[in-house]
Amino acid sequence: MATVVIMPRQGQSVESCIITALCVKVGDKVNKGDTLFSYETDKSSFDEPAPEAGTVLALLCAEGDDVPCLENVLILGNEGEDISALLKDAAPAEEAAAPAPEAKEEAKVEAAAPAAEAPRATEGVGSISPRARLLAEKTGADLLKATPTGPNGRIIERDVQALVDAGLTVSPAAKASYTEAVEGSGISGKVTLRDLEGAPAPEAVAAPVEAAAAPEYEDVKLPNIRKVIARSMHESLSTMAQLTLHTSFDATALLELRANIKENGEKLGLANITLNDMVLFAVSRVLKSHKDLNAHYLDDVMRYFNVVNLGVAVDTPRGLMVPTVFSADKLSLNELSIAAKKLIKEAQGGTISPDKLRGGSFTVTNLGSLGIESFTPVINPPQTGILGVGSITRRIKDEDGEDVSYPAMGLSLTFDHRALDGAPAAKFLKELVSALESFDLLLLK
Amino acid sequence: MPKSQYVDPAKAFEAGYIHFEDIPVCQYNKTLAEEKKIYTKDDFLRIYRDMAIIREFETMLNEVKVKSEYNGVQYNNPGPAHLSIGQEASAVGEAYCLDINDFSFGSHRSHGEILAKGLSSIHKLDDEELYAIMKEFLDGSVLAVVEKHMNAGGNVKELAINFLLYGALAEIFARKTGFNRGLGGSMHAFFIPFGLMPNNAIVGASAPIALGAALYKRSNGKPGIVISNCGDGATGRGPVLEALNFASMDQITKLWGMDGKYSDGGMPILFNVFNNHYGMGGQTRGETMGFDMAARLGAGFNPSQMHAERVNGYDPLAVIDAVSRKKKLLLEGKGPALLDVVTYRVSGHSPSDSSTYRTQEEINAWRDADPIVAFKKKLIKGKLATELEIELIHQQITNRMTEIMKLAINDEISPRMDLVREPDGISSIMFSNQKVVSMDPSREAEMLLPKEECPRVKEIKGKTRTAKDASGKPVSKMKMYNICDGLFEPIIDKFYDDPTLIAYGEDNRDWGGAFGVYKKMTEAVPYHRFFNSPISESAIVGSAVGYAMCGGRAIVELMYADFIGCAGDEIFNQMAKWQAMSAGILKMPITLRVSVGSKYGAQHSQDWTALCAHIPGLKVVFPATPTDAKGLMTSALDGTDPVVFFESQRIYGIGEEFRKDGVPEGHFEIPFGEPDIKREGKDVTILTIGAVLYRALDAAKILEEKYGVSAEIIDARSIVPFNYEKVIESVKKTGKILLVGDACERDSVMRDMASNITELCFDYLDGPPVVVGSRNWITPAFELEKSFFPQADWIIDALHEKIMPLPGHVPTNNFTDLEKVARAKAGL
Repeated sequence: MATVVIMPRQGQSVESCIITALCVKVGDKVNKGDTLFSYETDKSSFDEPAPEAGTVLALLCAEGDDVPCLENVLILGNEGEDISALLKDAAPAEEAAAPAPEAKEEAKVEAAAPAAEAPRATEGVGSISPRARLLAEKTGADLLKATPTGPNGRIIERDVQALVDAGLTVSPAAKASYTEAVEGSGISGKVTLRDLEGAPAPEAVAAPVEAAAAPEYEDVKLPNIRKVIARSMHESLSTMAQLTLHTSFDATALLELRANIKENGEKLGLANITLNDMVLFAVSRVLKSHKDLNAHYLDDVMRYFNVVNLGVAVDTPRGLMVPTVFSADKLSLNELSIAAKKLIKEAQGGTISPDKLRGGSFTVTNLGSLGIESFTPVINPPQTGILGVGSITRRIKDEDGEDVSYPAMGLSLTFDHRALDGAPAAKFLKELVSALESFDLLLLK
Repeated sequence: MPKSQYVDPAKAFEAGYIHFEDIPVCQYNKTLAEEKKIYTKDDFLRIYRDMAIIREFETMLNEVKVKSEYNGVQYNNPGPAHLSIGQEASAVGEAYCLDINDFSFGSHRSHGEILAKGLSSIHKLDDEELYAIMKEFLDGSVLAVVEKHMNAGGNVKELAINFLLYGALAEIFARKTGFNRGLGGSMHAFFIPFGLMPNNAIVGASAPIALGAALYKRSNGKPGIVISNCGDGATGRGPVLEALNFASMDQITKLWGMDGKYSDGGMPILFNVFNNHYGMGGQTRGETMGFDMAARLGAGFNPSQMHAERVNGYDPLAVIDAVSRKKKLLLEGKGPALLDVVTYRVSGHSPSDSSTYRTQEEINAWRDADPIVAFKKKLIKGKLATELEIELIHQQITNRMTEIMKLAINDEISPRMDLVREPDGISSIMFSNQKVVSMDPSREAEMLLPKEECPRVKEIKGKTRTAKDASGKPVSKMKMYNICDGLFEPIIDKFYDDPTLIAYGEDNRDWGGAFGVYKKMTEAVPYHRFFNSPISESAIVGSAVGYAMCGGRAIVELMYADFIGCAGDEIFNQMAKWQAMSAGILKMPITLRVSVGSKYGAQHSQDWTALCAHIPGLKVVFPATPTDAKGLMTSALDGTDPVVFFESQRIYGIGEEFRKDGVPEGHFEIPFGEPDIKREGKDVTILTIGAVLYRALDAAKILEEKYGVSAEIIDARSIVPFNYEKVIESVKKTGKILLVGDACERDSVMRDMASNITELCFDYLDGPPVVVGSRNWITPAFELEKSFFPQADWIIDALHEKIMPLPGHVPTNNFTDLEKVARAKAGL
């Protein structure tokens, strides 16, 4: 019995994935666990292992295809096996599609073979009628939960109405996630295909013939993640009123604790708690009394979080990622450290679930290890603040009339002036400095 | 076929010969002495002056074309200039005999004809009349220019000549102060108050139009005759030959008199062939025609041989002699007549003509025979003028022409229509949009019976005006008021209300129209208002255009919509365009009835609404119920615009199923442009065009009963104009729309509407507007029609496949995208 390998759904919000590499071709024999194909969401990449040993009987997608989750990618089975029934059954099983009419079947088979040609939904929720979109906007229906019943998987009015009837609505903020911060360039801000396709690659200028041997540059198509970062960062800077406050604190207490943990931590069963973990810990505690910074700014609504979902900016080979430590305020320093490390590892390995890359209420980013003393971090919208952590430098301070040198660690808080004013932001920073300088007291709380 | 005329087999096979009379060829031979007895010195000089004016006018245009300069005045004229240098004597000779009651329709080389007829009318009108005409025309705007900027020395006739030359030239140069506001241009200039009717850029197109003008005079007892000018090349065109035959048909003298009750005179029309030997470059005698001499044509059309004659068109007095004899014949009721006026075009067909088809020797020989030079010699020989006097005439003309040209090219005095400042300049004249109950309220309509005694009126009185009786039972076909009755009622009413109304087409009278709309109307309407035409679609529609130009109203019928192709030019270029080309001066109250067939295969079953809707200037309607047929026909007949009135043979016999009170009695109007909701619904809109309404109703029933889908059905009724508001409202409600019609789907009206609806309702649409039309095939035989014309199940399948899959529905027709792409790829 042949097996259909589908495009897995990597997280609730993922609608489709791009096949980055097909590792097999029709007729190849594979062992269980062999990689069949690699694919990526806009944030992560994955390898799909063979669920069982067998022969590749059909490939239904091609490299570069944007395949909706749960759609068929290839068919494994015994050589010579009749798979026509499987080819006919192109629709995913869980979809309550109308029974395929006789007259249509022939057409569908044709469509399945050169699947690369079939138009597919590309981003967000896939194809949706203008009317259904309008109704969703009006009612707040959660299109991510819609079951498309229109032709070619189009969401039509009745599908949205079904969501409304079932109470499946969603806030404007969450909706932002499936429209992917695409800014409409059409008339009255309509999002048109142009917006979804992204900026066209710059046209290559024909180099003079004599210089042909050594091109002056090469044009490389942007990976998806770069596009997402670009969009998100640009939106952040172009739509918010951001400003940054710089300060530093005496890190003597932190360094002592760090030295102590390094020496005795393992014996006590503690993780390798870093300075950054301590900063995260301090932030997760101090933030509780500064709700304007532990919030989302949603145009006409402020959403204040009762927990601290701490975003941790991570530099990965694929680019910047910000995994979230959910309810960081509920974790001990040790737990927080373990959680953060796990997330960072997943992010760097490119295996992180997209669900863990969302939902932060505040973000901490650290460039201190790279020797940066202070900088102006860019807020991850719709959050209202981000804390940048700088390197440690020696500074002089006056102590009872004497110049005393101490390790100073830089802190840079960028906040959205639309959401809060300078004084409350400064107060948060001041309290954070005080907490970090007397970290022992904080731990006792 | 009238029963009064028995077709006797014995007579039909009788032996004998057809006899022809000799056709005179250039028989004019009056001496100068004889001529001097007929014409005064003034007449001679005026004839000379008129020829010289035409020559100078054409020379000026030629210079402007070739050198961009005339007499030191620079100008570039991008428009056409089909000149007639050499043909002046023919034009002036013809016009000499005509007065303002005589209408002259020009060829497409007509500057000379316009000027000659204009000059002749100016001579014949008295000063007061003349001034009033100029003052009234386009609110005096043309007159104001020549009055202000030229000195006519207080002489109204001189002023009028300036007016004529300026109005024509400004028209040629596309100026707003031209006779038709610059919208007609070189080949369409005309001036009705001088009896100077529209000319035509389509070769030969004037012939059926002139015929219509003659029909107007004939059927309404108007004075004067009609001249149909054309070139010898145009005699190869079907519409010209159709017009020759139509004008000659027997019934005019044999049946229209109705035993002395009415006139039995022939058609008062003179077909005048300006035979310049070439149709552009094709030599008619010796190359493209076989008649040897165009006058021979007359012998083919009726026993009087159309009184055909060939005359020397280089001698204005020979032409005057012939035309006045023909005019006399026509006024005596002996028309039609035909003249073959031999002339020559020394100038090229157009300035780009390099005369590759004729030798310089030939041109020189005709130059030597120049009619103006020859006439000048005659004047001098007859001591009617001196060289000096003639030189003076020429000088005056040149000065006048230079002055007029300066005025006509002056952008301030003679501006072009400013479509930036007046964006509606042309929009406002595409249709006249008037409601005129009678085109001539001064007269009583000529009818044979009082209306209530008309047998058909009596018959309809006894009919039930709904499809079902009070108890809900279907009314029997014989008793039921149907679409034919709906069409008939406003038509018979209009016959009584408007004395100018005429109706004709093939088999209209005794047969009652091929589909019985005119059944039992013969008893009430006299022949000259209601007759069988020959099978001549061009002449049927073309004559209606001429009839309307003169101020009459016509209903013409083409039997099958497929025959629109046979009257293509008349419908698309003439009927559609003259209101706007005349700057709104002309009205075009024509209702052209066409019927969409069924059961008759590929050439008798086509819905060609899209062809008509595509052409600007036509109104197009397609009713599908008796009430709508009546209401729309009433509006068509009350209006002043050309209407192509589509009917469907599938539903002539259908009764009123929608209006509870039945088809309204008496005068009942449905304004054009308003679609009608025939069935209310909330889930999907179905917009239908024509007879497909009833199949859409079937589909709606199935959708309701089987799938719980409530369909709203809107019957378009009108195609041009069309008010989208009702459809937009419906789509806002349902979000889904199917457009259904019997026309082949590609480029149909449904396609156009679907595209407009997509634009207008984009945000409200739950799926693309989907068109369900006939296949892009030939119409097959009746037994196979269900695979060709849209059926109820096609509508349901299209909804299921393209807009909203219906749970449990199994489509039987292929409406998939793949199929669509494949068909388009194959041109199907």
